[in-house]
Amino acid sequence: MTLVLSARDVRRDYPVAGTPVHAVRGISLDVHAGEWVAIVGPSGCGKSTLLNLLGAIDRPSAGSITIAGRDVARLGDAEATRFRLTGVGFVFQRFYLMPTLTAAENVELPMAEAKVPRVEREARARELLGYVGLAGRADHRPFQLSGGEQQRVAIARALANRPALLLADEPTGELDARTGTEVIALLDRLNRDGTTIVTVTHDEELAQAARRVVHVRDGAIVDDVVRRPLPPAAPADGAARR
Amino acid sequence: MPLALLAAVLPGPPVCAQAAPVVPRTVTIDERLAAAAALAVGDRVLLAPEAGGPGDTVTIAAITRRGADPSEVARSEYRVRLHLDHLQRLAGTGDRVGRFAVASAPGVAPESVAAAIDAAAFGFRAYPAAAVAIETSATFRVVNRFHRAIGIITIVASAIFLLCITLLKVDERRRDVGALRLLGLSRATVVRAVVLEAALVSLVGSAMGAGLGWAASALVNWHYQGVYATPLRFAIVTPGIVAFAVTLSLGLGLVSGWVAAQRLVRRAPLELVGR
Ligand SMILES: Nc1ncnc2c1ncn2[C@@H]1O[C@H](COP(=O)(O)OP(=O)(O)OP(=O)(O)O)[C@@H](O)[C@H]1O
Ligand SMILES: [Mg+2]
Repeated sequence: MTLVLSARDVRRDYPVAGTPVHAVRGISLDVHAGEWVAIVGPSGCGKSTLLNLLGAIDRPSAGSITIAGRDVARLGDAEATRFRLTGVGFVFQRFYLMPTLTAAENVELPMAEAKVPRVEREARARELLGYVGLAGRADHRPFQLSGGEQQRVAIARALANRPALLLADEPTGELDARTGTEVIALLDRLNRDGTTIVTVTHDEELAQAARRVVHVRDGAIVDDVVRRPLPPAAPADGAARR
Repeated sequence: MPLALLAAVLPGPPVCAQAAPVVPRTVTIDERLAAAAALAVGDRVLLAPEAGGPGDTVTIAAITRRGADPSEVARSEYRVRLHLDHLQRLAGTGDRVGRFAVASAPGVAPESVAAAIDAAAFGFRAYPAAAVAIETSATFRVVNRFHRAIGIITIVASAIFLLCITLLKVDERRRDVGALRLLGLSRATVVRAVVLEAALVSLVGSAMGAGLGWAASALVNWHYQGVYATPLRFAIVTPGIVAFAVTLSLGLGLVSGWVAAQRLVRRAPLELVGR
């Protein structure tokens, strides 16, 4: 099995005046290709902080993070930006779609930044929007889409540059139960088709859908349960991704 | 005025049939007098040095339009022109002339003509028309400088205002900028997008401003040309002014867009989206 993510003794301290906050206190975690890991835990236990570290949005105070062979913890700002563009796909609780762009343009945006030729990125955006069930909404702008549809566009966008890993922080946090279920079903389909996923969530339904659940408390892993093992014929190429 | 033209504007029989035929002399009046006294070309009027006193009956040969001379705009007097000998006879002061104009032949420098006249006789002082114009327009040059000062103050104040507006408007987009940065768009891309948008906005803005300025100047001219009965243009929008406005606005747009974008991309993306 190919190791996609390997975190070793990762720490993140926020230097707050008085008592510094130790948001992540020595987390080690391995994620293999094709896995779907849900990180759960009480509010404030450091889940988002950890995911931001994995996604090169933030830098750890100590420890190492290797994703698809790259040491993410030591990247400079420009390299981290580049890594966020092509190395990982990030899905946010609040979608963060560009309000002035259509769904298709939102999906194309990371590809345009990565200098993917226009024809190619238009085709890929169409393919991805079809995959998330929004083929007919390509020319709609975010305000014309429901929350669930916006999140599906955001998932399509996160996959645009074929990242090694999909990270999602509370992807159902802004959605009602029904649209949340749709998004969970989409993540499940993505994972079955080979996408490696790490989600952070409070959503019990989302946690139940994942193959593996990692429990975090006070910045440390307290439990790690594999609920659905990877099928024996796991993708051979390692860079299993849609 | 050519004699042929004078003859053409003298229709009708002589006034006095039995005496030696007296052909009335001709005068020209200006538009303002024509309008005020309801006179037209061909009308005969009594021209006298003093109101109610004896004078000559004259024919109005032409109605003149005032030149676009700012020094005459505010004068409400009427202007009547008559032949020099006629004027001298009517005024009873023959042989006295305050000033007169000499037209130089094409290609002859007015300065050399003025010098020749000055050298020819004592008691004359000849000035080229340009020197007279400069002399009489001194007031307008002061007014002009005053306008320029007001213009500069306006431009500086509105530039600061626009800079602040741009900063605020771009700052309103900090969540979008933060999201773009989280997605992996580089600082340079974000700055380029913001600067490009600011440049486009300022180009469109300056085009609208130039159009508005043109419309305003047309309105001002229409109004005051009517009020003062003059072809003088009170407000002008020249290509130079438009070019200056567009350049200034584009420059301001580029600078303010760049400053605003820099302020944003320097901050951490997570801070920009407010977590
Ligand atoms: N920029 C920061 N400065 C100081 N402390 C911070 C900062 N960001 C997070 N923290 C603290 O770090 C801890 C972990 O925060 P984090 O956002 O990772 O929690 P979380 O598990 O995602 O919570 P939730 O489930 O509510 O989203 C919290 O105590 C929080 O107050
Ligand atoms: Mg969180």
